[in-house]
Amino acid sequence: MKKKTLGLVLAASSAIAMCFGGTTVFAEEGKDVSELVIGELHYSVVEDGGWAQAMHEGVLKACENLGIDTSTNLLTMEEISEEDPALIESAVEELVDNGADIIIGCSTGYASILSELQEEFPEVVFAQQNNDVYDNLVEFQIRGYEGMFQAGYLCALMNEGSNELGFEASMDEGSVRTAINAFALGAKYANPDATVQVVWADSWYDLDIESNNAKTLIDSGVKYMGMEASSPAVPQTCEENGAFCVGYNINMQESAPKAVMTSFVWNWAPIFEDIFQKTADGSIDISANYYEGGECSQLAEFNADLVPEDVQAKVVEVKDKIASGEINIYGGEIKDDKGNVLVAEGETMSDEDILAQDFFVENVKGGK
Amino acid sequence: MNLLISLFSGAIVYAVSVMYAGIGETFSERAGVMNLGVEGIMLMGAVSGYITAVNTHNLLLSFLVVLLTGAVFGLVFAFLTVTLQADQTVCGMAMLIFGTGLSGFLGKDVAGVAANLKFENISIPLLGKLPFLGPIFFQQNLLVYAMYFIVPASLFYIYKTKQGLYLRALGENPAALDSAGMNVFAMRYAYVTFGCAMMAVSGACVSLANTNFWSSGMTAGKGWIAFALVAFSSWNPFKLMMGALLFGFISCLGSNLQIYLPSVPTEIYSALPYIATIVAFILTTGNFRKSHTAQPAALCKPYDRESR
Repeated sequence: MKKKTLGLVLAASSAIAMCFGGTTVFAEEGKDVSELVIGELHYSVVEDGGWAQAMHEGVLKACENLGIDTSTNLLTMEEISEEDPALIESAVEELVDNGADIIIGCSTGYASILSELQEEFPEVVFAQQNNDVYDNLVEFQIRGYEGMFQAGYLCALMNEGSNELGFEASMDEGSVRTAINAFALGAKYANPDATVQVVWADSWYDLDIESNNAKTLIDSGVKYMGMEASSPAVPQTCEENGAFCVGYNINMQESAPKAVMTSFVWNWAPIFEDIFQKTADGSIDISANYYEGGECSQLAEFNADLVPEDVQAKVVEVKDKIASGEINIYGGEIKDDKGNVLVAEGETMSDEDILAQDFFVENVKGGK
Repeated sequence: MNLLISLFSGAIVYAVSVMYAGIGETFSERAGVMNLGVEGIMLMGAVSGYITAVNTHNLLLSFLVVLLTGAVFGLVFAFLTVTLQADQTVCGMAMLIFGTGLSGFLGKDVAGVAANLKFENISIPLLGKLPFLGPIFFQQNLLVYAMYFIVPASLFYIYKTKQGLYLRALGENPAALDSAGMNVFAMRYAYVTFGCAMMAVSGACVSLANTNFWSSGMTAGKGWIAFALVAFSSWNPFKLMMGALLFGFISCLGSNLQIYLPSVPTEIYSALPYIATIVAFILTTGNFRKSHTAQPAALCKPYDRESR
């Protein structure tokens, strides 16, 4: 409520400034970035311990770096269901009424509605987490496979004397397949014989099934696993049963300090910083598309009690090689789990195919 | 062998986390008050216990807070449905939405904060060392062990004691109890409050035993499963246990079969618990058995002395 009131005050003050011929107003004409008012739409609360939290932290960090006061200029809308167009529309209207210069759709499901609303509110910039689909939305995505490759590489290095790794996956969907495949490719880079057994929860969030799946993997002899799930259920099950994992979405080390070696984390801040800055300058191209790797697709700090320093150094080396292009993750030859060649020797998979993965790579077991 | 142990012990862990709520609901419905707010009260139990655990690092205190939270919700619900005689379905939905929302709000500060305090698995001396049975039954947490006593105790209470007879009468014909000089309102208050406290313990199973964290909406539908199990079990705690074990077993089966029978699509495994529940439901309560329904006759009917 406080934020909304402040937003109103802001909107009112800019209106007054307009009347007196002030120099502010209109993102298109350029304004100081610290005056930017940002609205964000989340499908859950921002402390969800997963996706929304990572996204929100990215916004906060970008604001901090640009000197945007989040207590007044950041309007956060939580629990805006992606399946409820009326709710999304009213949330957006409220954000616009409160002076938002830019509205961020923090989950893919908002894309089509935000694209329609952009026409209604052309003075507002709409940024949307999505592949490059719409011409009137700034769309952004992270090359999650870079971090997951490092996660798989780390697990395979740690898994001395065995080739079997595990993976707890949520739903069968492109982004989840990306995580699994990258993990498997990374594992293979460390150990050509490494295989990754996937167990599916078939749910985005089900603690019992996630725990059970982890337990099943451990019972079948797996000691190191990756995950694409939003809760610490898998890490805690690993901890109870003497196994190890790489957390997902946010740093999960605190939830299971004896099992989490590191976590794959989304670092959205650099993308947001660029979008915010350009929105403030008025130089933003609303059809822009961001597909970023490098520092955006990271592993959190290592758990020094679990990962020896030489292994840490090797993972960092791989990270640098990805950044320099020496390691081409989707460079050929890559085969799928049925033995078909996906990428021929010497070729590289296109970004479209990487984004829309409908395959599992060769060393994945239990793919769909 | 390992596979079976993992399956059965997983089924027990799952079953217990819905059985507290299920038994609570059984008592409440036996007393004639249907509580649809199970999920909301579970979440309140989960969050209140977890907040206390983070702040005090005292498990016993956390557990007492869980019971107290459930009881407070129970008193409010009883006030609405017994004293004010409001519609139980509507009030139940209100408890559900209120509990879900309030738990999310209260939990903001502990979301992502590690308590590192939970009901740990304790191996019972001697029994825990038994081959096969030991790891399944006797290497569990305290909440599971407590349930070993709660099921027979509640069966005994409902079917073998005088108080249990009153309880059954309370849900069938409260007017008769009233004529016999019993205080229908006080009894309903007591059972509704007890029921809600048990539901809150189910929440504690989720945030302080099976896993150890808080996340908004973390019970993910367990309250509804508990609610359905009550009707499925014909308001009988033993059948409730069997139903919960069946559901838990088949849920666990899915993750094992994925590895050992990979040719079947995993969605089939995910659907299995629900298919099994529907089949069992039809077999146990279907009309074709021509048996008398076990539903308490006065369920959902507020008791009004003036209109008896």
